[in-house]
Amino acid sequence: MADKVKVTKESNRAQTLFDLTGRAAVITGGAGLLGIKHAEILAAAGGSPVLLDLPQAEPEVAAAAIAKKYGVDAAGFATDITQLADVEQVRDELLARFGHIDILINNAANNPKVESVGSSSSSKVWSRLENFPIEIWNDDLRVGLTGAFLCSRVFGSEMAKRGKGVILNIASDLAVIAPDQRLYRQQGVPDDQQPVKPVTYSVVKTGLIGLTRYLATYWATSGVRVNAISPGGVFNNQPAAFLAELHQRIPLARMAHADEYQGAILFLCSDASSYMTGANLVVDGGRTCW
Amino acid sequence: MLVGLDPSSLDRSSLFSLQGKVALLTGASGFLGRTFAETLLANGADLIAIGRPAKLSKQEQVWAEKYGPGRVHCYYADMYDLEALTQTLDEIAQRHAVDVLINNAHELAPSSGFNTPAGSLEQGTMDVWMRNLTAGVCWPALTVQKIGAGMKDRRRGSIINISTMYAVVAPRPALYEGTTFLNPPAYSASKAAMIAFTRYVASFWGRYGIRANAILPGPFSNTEDRGPNSVQAGDPFIEKLNANTCLGRVGHAGELAGALLFLASEASSYVTGQNIVVDGGWTAV
Repeated sequence: MADKVKVTKESNRAQTLFDLTGRAAVITGGAGLLGIKHAEILAAAGGSPVLLDLPQAEPEVAAAAIAKKYGVDAAGFATDITQLADVEQVRDELLARFGHIDILINNAANNPKVESVGSSSSSKVWSRLENFPIEIWNDDLRVGLTGAFLCSRVFGSEMAKRGKGVILNIASDLAVIAPDQRLYRQQGVPDDQQPVKPVTYSVVKTGLIGLTRYLATYWATSGVRVNAISPGGVFNNQPAAFLAELHQRIPLARMAHADEYQGAILFLCSDASSYMTGANLVVDGGRTCW
Repeated sequence: MLVGLDPSSLDRSSLFSLQGKVALLTGASGFLGRTFAETLLANGADLIAIGRPAKLSKQEQVWAEKYGPGRVHCYYADMYDLEALTQTLDEIAQRHAVDVLINNAHELAPSSGFNTPAGSLEQGTMDVWMRNLTAGVCWPALTVQKIGAGMKDRRRGSIINISTMYAVVAPRPALYEGTTFLNPPAYSASKAAMIAFTRYVASFWGRYGIRANAILPGPFSNTEDRGPNSVQAGDPFIEKLNANTCLGRVGHAGELAGALLFLASEASSYVTGQNIVVDGGWTAV
C-alpha cells in the first residue's frame, strides 16, 4: 500500500504536525460547553469547524463567533443527529460548501446530572437504577450511540470514499471505570433515595469505545483513522465537599480545566497522530491508573 | 498548566511548544532516539543526551550545526555500569533543571537476546534476562529517582517512558518462522514492568505536579542503520509486519514525534499514568 503520509526531516515541528489548514471538521454537540472548546482549538490550527447542535443551542451563532475570533470559515447547523435524513442533508450542504469532510468529532451526548435529592415532587429518585425510566434510557442511547453511529456512517463514508479522514469519539473516564457512587452520597438520606450517576452514561461512553475499535479496523485500509479520548470531569464550581472527595481519587488532585482537553483533541485530529488508530487516549489526571 | 483562556495559548505552536524547557533523553543516538532528539530541539527544548560515545559524539556535531551551539549537552555513559550512570545523573541533576525526562534507551542486540536463539524462551540466559530488566526497569528507576528529585522540588515535570506494544500483546511466532529474527521474552517482560512503574510514579508523584506516561510504539523497523537489529527496506519481514497492522504499513520514526510532543508539552497537562499506543492499529484487532 502506498504511504499516505510524507514524513520529512522538517515535519516534526509542531507548526506542521498539528496544522489543519483547509480541513472541514464536523463536531456534534458543537455548541455545548466542551464542543465549543473542541471547535476553538481546531480553528486555532487553521481548520473549519462545523458545529451541529439542537436549535436551542444556536450553533449558527456559536460558529459565527468562532469564525470571527479565529479568522476561519466556520458553519453551524441546527440538526437532530438521530435522524438520518437530517445528517445526510448536512453532508450535502458541506460537500457543496467545502468540497470535502475531513474530521468528525462525535461529542454529542445527553449528560444527565446527578439528581439532587428532593428535586422532584414524587418520592422516587428517577435516576436510580431501580426506577430508571425506559424513555430516558432510549433517549440517552439514541443521542449518544445512534447519533454517533449515523454521523460516522454518513460523514465517515465520505471520508472512506476519498481515502482520507479522521473520526474522534469523545468517551469518558466512565468508559474505563465505574462511577464511584460514594461521591454523590448525601448524609441523612435513606439508601433508596440516594442520588446516583445514571446508568446510561456508562453504557453510552463504553459503547463509544467499541464503536471506535470497530470503525478503526473497518476503515483502516480506506485511510480513515478512528480514535477515542476518555476525559475526566471538568471543574465547573462544584461544591467544595464533592471536590475534596473527588480530588482524593485523582493523582493530580484536581479536576480538569475546560480547555485542558484541547491538546488531545488537536493531537488526534491532526497528522501528528498519523500512525494511531483504534486507540483510547485517557485524559483523567491519573484517576484510572491507581 | 493550561489555565485561563488566553486565545494565544491555543495556538498550536504555543500549546505544543517546548520553548524554555530542558529535556533529558537516554539512548539519544539510536534509531528512534535520533528522531526524539530532533523533535525536542526543533520545538525549542534544550537537549541533554545520554548515549554511547561512538555514535553520540557524531550526532552532537550534527545537532550543534543545525540548532546552534549551547542547545545540546551530551553525557557519555555505558548505562550498564550503574555506578557510572548514577554519577552521571547526579552531575546532570546538579547542572540542569530538567523539565522533561525521556527514558528511551534499550539495548536491541544479540547480547540482550535479539535475533539470536540465545534470547529465546527455551534458551534465554539469565544474563540476557538481566540485561533487559536492567534496561527496562533499573535505568528508568534510577533516572526517575535522580532527576525526579528536582522535579519534586520545582513542582513540575513530565516523565515519558518509551515502552512497546509488546508490553500489552505478545509477539506472534508466525512472524519469525523461517527467519533469523527473534524478539526475546525478556524484552516484553521488561517493557511491561516499565508501564507498571510508569503508573506507580504517576500515582505517587501526581501530587507534586509530576506526570508520568508511556509511549508504546508498534512496528517501527530500523531501516536506517546497518547493525544486528536493522532490517533492509524491502525485506519480506517488513511485509509480514505491514500485514499485521490495520493501516497496512510499518510506522515512520517521525510518526512518534506527535505523541512525544503531546506528552512533553503542556498540551497534555491533565494526562498521567497512561499508555499512548502508536501502532497503526496492531493491538486494535
